[in-house]
Amino acid sequence: MMEKSDNMETTSEDPADVLLRQLFHLKGYETPETARMIRNKQNIMRQVREVSSRNHWNLSDLLEVNIPWFFAEPRYGIAALFVVFATLQFWGISTNKQADGKTGIYSGDRGIAMAGQNTGVYTNSVSYPKLPDSLTLFAEKQGDSSIKPVGSFGPKK
Amino acid sequence: MAGSENPNIEEIPEEASVPDDEDLVLRSQQGDVRAFDELVEKYHGKIYGLTYNMTSNREDAEDLTQEVFVKAFEALPRFRGNSSFYTWLYRIAVNKTINYRKKRNRKRTLSLDQFDQEIKGDDVYHDLTAKGSPLRSMSLSELQEKLNEALQHLSEKHRTVVVMHDMQGIPHEEIAKVVKASVGTVRSRLFYARRQMQTELTEFMK
Repeated sequence: MMEKSDNMETTSEDPADVLLRQLFHLKGYETPETARMIRNKQNIMRQVREVSSRNHWNLSDLLEVNIPWFFAEPRYGIAALFVVFATLQFWGISTNKQADGKTGIYSGDRGIAMAGQNTGVYTNSVSYPKLPDSLTLFAEKQGDSSIKPVGSFGPKK
Repeated sequence: MAGSENPNIEEIPEEASVPDDEDLVLRSQQGDVRAFDELVEKYHGKIYGLTYNMTSNREDAEDLTQEVFVKAFEALPRFRGNSSFYTWLYRIAVNKTINYRKKRNRKRTLSLDQFDQEIKGDDVYHDLTAKGSPLRSMSLSELQEKLNEALQHLSEKHRTVVVMHDMQGIPHEEIAKVVKASVGTVRSRLFYARRQMQTELTEFMK
């Protein structure tokens, strides 16, 4: 829209100026075909869906969307990171103090000594249940066996 | 000028559209593709109008419009709302169009949309085709072609402001935000561009 207060643009009402404005006005009647525009919009929406399904949001995108202040003001972001770092350090130190001497051989001299003392002999034998004396697993040799020896293993005479 | 209201110019209802856009942008950023569809519906015509008038080629304008919206969708996670979505989208469109034209500098051809039949009911049309008008002897399509050629002879910077202000009715302040220049610079570019086009068209009508 032409602005009346725009001195620079309306200094003259020369015919060329008027004609130009009229032509610009008529250019507004150049309209695209509706079918082409609908197809164009559909193409855009299809492409957007392709991009959306291809782009699984990574961590940085999620952070950027959910905590934009962190990226908008880097100094606050850095300060927040420092606070988190300091908290983790403090938490790590206090946890170490509480756990001192209670863990395995890495916890100190006492641990190593304890590991050294614990030197029992271990075997990997399996203990079977003890059977009662009255129970015989195999019957004694009867003498009437159908199996006969075919030779002897002793020295030849 | 009587009847100088451009039929395709829509005023930017900035105040009214801000909450809607904010909501749609937020939902789109959270992965709601349908919210982005609504933004496409809302701004498609304006972005097509900009790219069409910048290139004077409807096929290029369609490709560019598509690229602009896809680019906007991809860049949406980085949109922080420092400007309105509309300004941000326009900035993408202007930059894309300028880059596109630089790449295809030697292959410029005109491919124009047809005039709407409603033009015959317009006062300006009647003035220009009335007896005694210098354009009486020219066909409308001939005139359309000449105007678009003159537009294409402008530099990118000058064409951008002419298209945005004179054809799309965007105020100087908004244009200044889009092109990242002062309002004074926008006004002077507009003044220079109009003078250049007038010279070219006057030569043609002699």
